[in-house]
Amino acid sequence: MTAATTAPPTIAARAVDASKIYGKGDTEVRALDGVTVDFPAHAFTAIMGPSGSGKSTLMQCVAGLDTLTSGQVFIGDADLSSLSEKQLTLLRRDKIGFVFQAFNLVPTLTAEENITLPMDLAGRKPDAAWLNQIVTTVGLGDRLHHRPSELSGGQQQRVAVARALASRPEIIFGDEPTGNLDSRAGAEILTFLRDAVKQMGQTVVMVTHDPVAAAYSDHVLFLADGKIVDRMDEPTADRVLDRIKQFGH
Amino acid sequence: MLHVTWKGLLAHKIRLATTAIAVLIGVAFMAGTLVLTATIGSTFDGLYKDINAGTDVVVRQAQSVSGGQGFGETRAAVDASVLPTVQAVAGVRVAQGNVSGYAQYVDKNGKAIGNPNRGAPTLGFAWSDDPSLNPLRLASGSAPTGPTDVVMDKATADKYGFAVGEQVTVLTQTGANQYTVSGIARFGNVDSPLGATLAVFDTSTAQQVLGLPGKYSDIAAAAEPGISQEELAQRVQAALPDGLEAVTGKALTSEQQSQTRKVVSSFSTFLLVFAVVALFVGCFLIYNTFSIIVAQRSREMALLRAIGASRRQVLSSVLIEALLTGLFASVVGVVVGMGVAVGLRSLLSAFGFGIPATGLTIEPNAIVVPILVGVLITLASAFFPARKASKVPPVAAMRSVQTDDSGRSVARMVVGALILALGVLQLFIGLFAKPDNALAVVGGGAVFTFLGVAVLGPVIARPVARVIGWPIARLRAMPGVLARDNAMRNPKRTASTAAALMIGVGLVAFILIFWASATDSIRGVVDKGFVGDFVVQSNAGLQGGLPPEVATQLKALPQVGTVAETRVTVAEVAGSGTALFGVDPAAYGSIADLQVRQGSLDGLSQPGTIAVYDQTAKDKGWAIGDTVPVTFPATGPQELKVVALFHDQNIAGSYVIGLPTYEANTQVQFDYAVYVKLAPGVSAADGRAAIETVTDAYPNAQVQDKVEFADSIVGQVTSLLLFVIVLLLLAVVIALIGIANTLALSIFERTREIGLLRAVGMTRSQVRSAVRWESVIIALLGTALGLVIGLFFGWALIRALADQGFDSFSIPFVWLVVVVVVAFLSGVGAAIFPARRASNLNVLDAISSE
Repeated sequence: MTAATTAPPTIAARAVDASKIYGKGDTEVRALDGVTVDFPAHAFTAIMGPSGSGKSTLMQCVAGLDTLTSGQVFIGDADLSSLSEKQLTLLRRDKIGFVFQAFNLVPTLTAEENITLPMDLAGRKPDAAWLNQIVTTVGLGDRLHHRPSELSGGQQQRVAVARALASRPEIIFGDEPTGNLDSRAGAEILTFLRDAVKQMGQTVVMVTHDPVAAAYSDHVLFLADGKIVDRMDEPTADRVLDRIKQFGH
Repeated sequence: MLHVTWKGLLAHKIRLATTAIAVLIGVAFMAGTLVLTATIGSTFDGLYKDINAGTDVVVRQAQSVSGGQGFGETRAAVDASVLPTVQAVAGVRVAQGNVSGYAQYVDKNGKAIGNPNRGAPTLGFAWSDDPSLNPLRLASGSAPTGPTDVVMDKATADKYGFAVGEQVTVLTQTGANQYTVSGIARFGNVDSPLGATLAVFDTSTAQQVLGLPGKYSDIAAAAEPGISQEELAQRVQAALPDGLEAVTGKALTSEQQSQTRKVVSSFSTFLLVFAVVALFVGCFLIYNTFSIIVAQRSREMALLRAIGASRRQVLSSVLIEALLTGLFASVVGVVVGMGVAVGLRSLLSAFGFGIPATGLTIEPNAIVVPILVGVLITLASAFFPARKASKVPPVAAMRSVQTDDSGRSVARMVVGALILALGVLQLFIGLFAKPDNALAVVGGGAVFTFLGVAVLGPVIARPVARVIGWPIARLRAMPGVLARDNAMRNPKRTASTAAALMIGVGLVAFILIFWASATDSIRGVVDKGFVGDFVVQSNAGLQGGLPPEVATQLKALPQVGTVAETRVTVAEVAGSGTALFGVDPAAYGSIADLQVRQGSLDGLSQPGTIAVYDQTAKDKGWAIGDTVPVTFPATGPQELKVVALFHDQNIAGSYVIGLPTYEANTQVQFDYAVYVKLAPGVSAADGRAAIETVTDAYPNAQVQDKVEFADSIVGQVTSLLLFVIVLLLLAVVIALIGIANTLALSIFERTREIGLLRAVGMTRSQVRSAVRWESVIIALLGTALGLVIGLFFGWALIRALADQGFDSFSIPFVWLVVVVVVAFLSGVGAAIFPARRASNLNVLDAISSE
């Protein structure tokens, strides 16, 4: 590994002393409590924790879907708290990709139209070669003109992944992307995501509760009570499972 | 179950609010109409009671002629010699001759006061000394005593600034003359009886100027105390010569009251049609709202069914929601209706149809009927969605069951086509076969046509929305694509939302087409039929007009070649009442082209003659030389000889008599209009100037050339149709509320989807744009359907009226484009609130909503 052939490690997104507090006084809930974390570029990061740990909140705040009570969040160099609502929207459109657990697709659009949705919203023409490559990668070539109601759950998620990749975002966020899928379809999706990182240089941050899914990532962040309590590199399903058991439910 | 229903109602009150508003508007209009017409009716009732308050017996001609629609009964005058006979009857305390006729004031600027053609009458009377026979009470000054005295009603005096002792010009049959205001009087305790102007002269002056020398309009008598009206009437009758009758004051009052009620009731029907249209449109909105509510709560309904609620219980639950909503809305609607009554009154006077009414008469049926109708409409419209709700299978509580929203079932197409065919058939029967209740049949045909198209709507909604949406998708990129797709995704919903607008637009388009065709036809008739140069109009109704001296003076002008005066009277011709025109036999032919086919108008210079429309003559089997039975108020039944048959009945109707016949059979001579043809070589400007030297002295005279003449007729038609369109806008407003309502409910359904779009980067303004264009597509869909139907209705009606002079079918393209533009803008407007709601959805809440 020489310095010439590896890209210098960069940070795709960052949270600095991020806090999200609901309510006041006795009923105060600290969903995020002073979290500081870097999400390295070209890496697959998983965020795990029991329910109420703040994992979804962290992702939502870093992705520009929600605002912090205090602290800062950066996508690249952009400080999200300094952006207007419209600027945040455009940031999501141009720089961020999303894969939700369900309801990822617009029912009236075909698979192809769903994939090019962010670019159509921006009024930009997608690069045909890139589009082709993505479609081939996720294996949707023959389903492009079908509507979501005509696709299986796994196929719908693949369309979602394709959409996330198509606009070549700086970072892709997944919220339990395999939560509604059977293990085979889920494995497919996770493989696509990992390949996107390894082969296309994409950055992926995924919230999950499934140790098997977490094993696809490069490193895992463990959250509890709104704070980061542990990290793990090169995770395996067993090691992750062991660590989770320690949260004690 | 009732508890569940009640809870459901409260939870969905916002959704049901628009249903309530739609019902409220229709009910309010209905209640307002009923209250207004009841008020008008009872106001007139009160008026007649007041007029006849002290009169116990009235002596009048037994013979009366009915003028047909809205003209009431007309009688000849009574000879003055009868008065002493009546006064001599035992039990008569006092009797006086009444004289009434046309008298119009001129204000201090030389303009005639009042417009008897369109507003309250301008009346002349004789002053009665006995207070029980005279409803007028002097407020200042004294009763008229000489031929130059007049008593003015206080309303006119106040409004136009006349005081006792001042001079005023009054137009009567004897010309435009100056009088001194000897007194100012109130009618009972109001300043004027329902806006009519009163010029009261002493009896002999009244007889002179009102055109009844030596006669009385009728004789009124008051009884000695202790004698009943009936008793006195009998006694008086016994003393009367043949041909006269004595009626009690009570009988006279109820006769007058019921005559007016007939006119008021047809006016009421006219207005109620609009209430029905508004409610009909409201039906679509109600149907839509409940369909959406049921769809959104199908899971909840399924759950109820799963835990044991029967189909009937689910059905009743929805129907009770509908019932309570309808009831609440109708009750509030009736209250609002009172305000509508007041508003309608102002609207009518703004359009020149001044209606006198004081206070509000609220009869029980004005409350009960609208409430019943409102509730029934709500229940009927909610019935089909309610039935659908009861059909949700219990298993839908656990998994989603596919619902077919495409609306493309064979059953639908068949049923829709049948209803449409029924509607069109009814329309044609009503228009062309001319049955007795033609109006109801045509109305029914229109309703079924709309319904048929509404049922077929979903079948065509998708392809039409695609076509309309195509330019939008091209021009507005992603939001446009989404707008079009959303309009197409649920054709049933899109179609029924658009259908409500289709009705309003269809009717407006129909009226516009009818208006354009009618005005074209009118101009055509005037152009073809009027071959003179000028008309001098009097703006009179059936009473009054220009004194004959105007025509005489015009004839003397060197610039004038031919003068043809026209008079009008009420008469019964061959059994039916009509307005009958009397024309100058020699001159009329050079002014108007009646297209005489047989005989000649010259024959009318003989008294006892008549000219007849050739089609009517054919229908009745009359030929030249046959006689036509005509009953005149003054002279009773006559037999008039047919001397000419003419082909154009749009100029003077189906029957025309000559002035000699007219003068022989009527008492008061007024020219309704005077037609003038200039001498050869005289320019129009010179001609008009010359004519005006004569007419300036008669402020009620209006000089018009051919174009102005046509314009004035067209103007009246336009006024009426404009009023109709304003009322139709009510239905349009409801339809637009329906679009906004459907959109808002759809957005609620699409919350997750909108959340996703926002998450993925759709800006707020793009969201608003998508909603806005969806609304525009729906609005344009409804407009397109409405225009097609309106065109069809317009064509059908014009064809049906072709034999009545409507020979042009003309499409006012500019106005129809205006309609489309307004629909477009309304679509944008209807979307404002739903679009804002959609764009303000919190992204996070939206994507995690259930």
